[in-house]
Amino acid sequence: MTGIFVDQGAVDALGSDDREPSSGGPWRLFVRNRAAVFGLFLLIGILVMTFIVPIWYVKDPGDLVARPHLRPGAEGAPLLGTDNLGRDILAIIVYGGRTTLRVAAGAAVLIVFVGVTIGSLAGYYGGRVDAALMRFTEFFQVLPGLLFAIVVVALFEPSFWVITFAIGTIAWPGIARLTRAEFLRLKNLEFVKAARAIGATDFRIITRVILPNAMPTLIVSTTLIMGSAILFEAGLAFLGLADVNSASWGLAIGRGREFFTINWWAVTFPGLAIFFTVLGLSLVGDGLQDALNPRLRGR
Amino acid sequence: MLKKAGLKLLLLLSVMALIAAACGGDDDDDASGDDATATETDDGGGEDSSDDDDGGGDTGGDDGGGDGGDDAASSGEPVAGGTLVYATNQSPRHLNGTVQSGLATAVPGTQVNASPLFFDENYEPQPYLAESWEIADDGLSVTLNLRDDAVFHDGEPITSEDVAFSILTSKENHPFSAMFAPVESVDSSDPLVAVINLSQPHPAILMAMTPGLLPIIPEHIFNDGQDIQAHPRNAGSDFVGSGPFQVVEYEEGERIVLERFDDFFIDGRPYLDEIIIDILPDPNSVILGIDNGDYDMAVSPSQAATQQFLDDDRFVVSSDGGDAIGQIDWLNLNLRTEELSSAEARQAISIAVDQAGWRDIVALGFSSQNITGVENASPFYNAGATNYEERDLDRAMELLAEAGLDGGFELDMPATAGMLPTAEFVKQNLEDIGVTVNIRQVPDFPTWAAEVAGGTYDITYTQVWNWGDPVIGVNRSYDCENRIDPPGVIWSNNSWYCNDEVDALLDEAAVTFDTEARAQLYFEATELINQDAPIVYLGKPEAFQIRTPAVQNPPVGIWGVMSPWTDVWLSE
Repeated sequence: MTGIFVDQGAVDALGSDDREPSSGGPWRLFVRNRAAVFGLFLLIGILVMTFIVPIWYVKDPGDLVARPHLRPGAEGAPLLGTDNLGRDILAIIVYGGRTTLRVAAGAAVLIVFVGVTIGSLAGYYGGRVDAALMRFTEFFQVLPGLLFAIVVVALFEPSFWVITFAIGTIAWPGIARLTRAEFLRLKNLEFVKAARAIGATDFRIITRVILPNAMPTLIVSTTLIMGSAILFEAGLAFLGLADVNSASWGLAIGRGREFFTINWWAVTFPGLAIFFTVLGLSLVGDGLQDALNPRLRGR
Repeated sequence: MLKKAGLKLLLLLSVMALIAAACGGDDDDDASGDDATATETDDGGGEDSSDDDDGGGDTGGDDGGGDGGDDAASSGEPVAGGTLVYATNQSPRHLNGTVQSGLATAVPGTQVNASPLFFDENYEPQPYLAESWEIADDGLSVTLNLRDDAVFHDGEPITSEDVAFSILTSKENHPFSAMFAPVESVDSSDPLVAVINLSQPHPAILMAMTPGLLPIIPEHIFNDGQDIQAHPRNAGSDFVGSGPFQVVEYEEGERIVLERFDDFFIDGRPYLDEIIIDILPDPNSVILGIDNGDYDMAVSPSQAATQQFLDDDRFVVSSDGGDAIGQIDWLNLNLRTEELSSAEARQAISIAVDQAGWRDIVALGFSSQNITGVENASPFYNAGATNYEERDLDRAMELLAEAGLDGGFELDMPATAGMLPTAEFVKQNLEDIGVTVNIRQVPDFPTWAAEVAGGTYDITYTQVWNWGDPVIGVNRSYDCENRIDPPGVIWSNNSWYCNDEVDALLDEAAVTFDTEARAQLYFEATELINQDAPIVYLGKPEAFQIRTPAVQNPPVGIWGVMSPWTDVWLSE
């Protein structure tokens, strides 16, 4: 976690930091926020479940292990019961989490990369560059998100990359606008002028001087974006637009909904997995917001 | 703080909404399944317009009970009058069954059009428009003696010219070209006698002249030089037919209202005054409507619906009838795929696919064993044919080793949303012998059909109908000549199978009148086909009808709902 604060040194070296001195480091601020700590535990729990548990719980989530529609606790049923084809729901949750988290992480990386690049160029150079890039951004911003993702995924075949790309495409404008706003705010501050005065190149100023200062805001929104990426992935899978060759939480819900009247567990447990992951990400995001931007506290 | 709380609330709500959506809506998947059906029918190639598919199967004990009650009730005196409301999610393109196959057209089509013959439950031909018929000793001509009192809805008499026109129109336009392919000419010099001249004996022709396959349409209306496929009178409230009911209202994709035709040639029939066919695009609307008591009769739109209404005393749920439809669920293996070009590899796959498990789990038990391409109620069904019902994985591995494929390989499997449960099941089955199935979800039915017809697949799931006679519904999947180059035709010989011996047997069976001799030929042909294993037969589901107990004499003949509802009546 502390890796992201390392740039602080560079910032300090260049002089002014527009933050007020805070009562303790960001980490202390973070742990004082109980909700955030709870969220962190949720996330750690989810990560343990999807990446550590499989070491012991070796299963193929596609295996037909028992009779279909066995409720949790029924004789011969796995811990969380079976779905319509007799697959182990616990295995689907454990292994499906990887797919879901991979898509969410992949989409978040894409979103941040595209969003920050476009936002920083627009904010830094301003003028025509800004106008052109922002019109471009608006073009994507006005597209109804889920609908656009559905079209993209339906046009191509639902695979990991297509889904990641579709989610990335619809969510980057927010980050782009946020980055641009941060750049507009920061670019005329003293320490940037100083960097310019000593002859730093634009690239250096953007990446080494301004961006580290915009980081706290971006980190917070990236965390929240991962949450919505998970929801998007689940939504697409729910609508039948998932890579059916690899288990995922959304896919499990989409498959199970047809049988909900006789099999609630096939839908509910993957739903809870999504719920706790998104809740965890959102709480951690809030906690980071408080910890990294102490001035925003109480707003 | 407020903002934060709001954000959390929003996230919470969205997750809840997701879960709620999971519980409630069923729209999207089914909608696409639905599209599939609609397009299938719309595309004209869709004889197997099949979304009533999944419902099918072995009739459980519940049916017996339902039917018992039914029979008891129908022993009362038929009462004329009343309106029967029928719900369907199949939207017909039009009502002209000489150029269009499929359930969507055939349900209203058999009400508004009569046919020369009619087959009873025992596959025995019965008089309908033709009072009597005879087949020449050499089998090269069929003579139909028509009723002299039959008229079209516009009052014009139905003559042998209309019969000739209908047969020749069908021969040239209908997707099942095998039905009338041997017909050389139809002699209509006597208005009440139609003599069909054949180039070879053609026992299937009697079946081909029953409702659902050959409607008699008025020559004086349709023979006006316009393209029959797109004829303006193919549908609409001005449709002139020959059957027991006439069209009074035709709203495409919404509803068709049929009224009793008073001059129908069978005295005292039909009993019903009116039939309303309510067309609902979404299968769930059909289910809700039935549950709500809006409909008297429907074909069950899904297995879940069948299960739901089996437990509901207010309805009779029965899989009786429709034997001739003879749907078989199967997996096509594409012989153009290198790994599938050897019989051993295909046998291995057939063994590894758990057919009994599929019927039990995916078809919810509503499907019966069917080990050949001929449906299991047919006299031509070879119950003793080589089959792959026993799942012996060691044997499968041995066969793969013989084919030099024991290192495993990958298969591409396009599937629409509705085919996913089967695809996932098969993927899992084949994993056990080291074969990786890559399920490729395609957006809709036409995409899938184009891929399968064009041969760009390795393995795929489909449902194919027997259509009464093997000549019509079976041969097409195995005949070397029916391997149609891309873009191809769906439900032709999509496996690209070719065995000259099989072709010879099928050709001989097509011209053999004696049922036993014919059966023997089909036994041999299906045995050879099964040894070559181009297709993995999963099972035979049957369509369930859901009716209110008031519906008497329901259409449970060999064509099910695709029969004239002349004897249907409503008790109160």
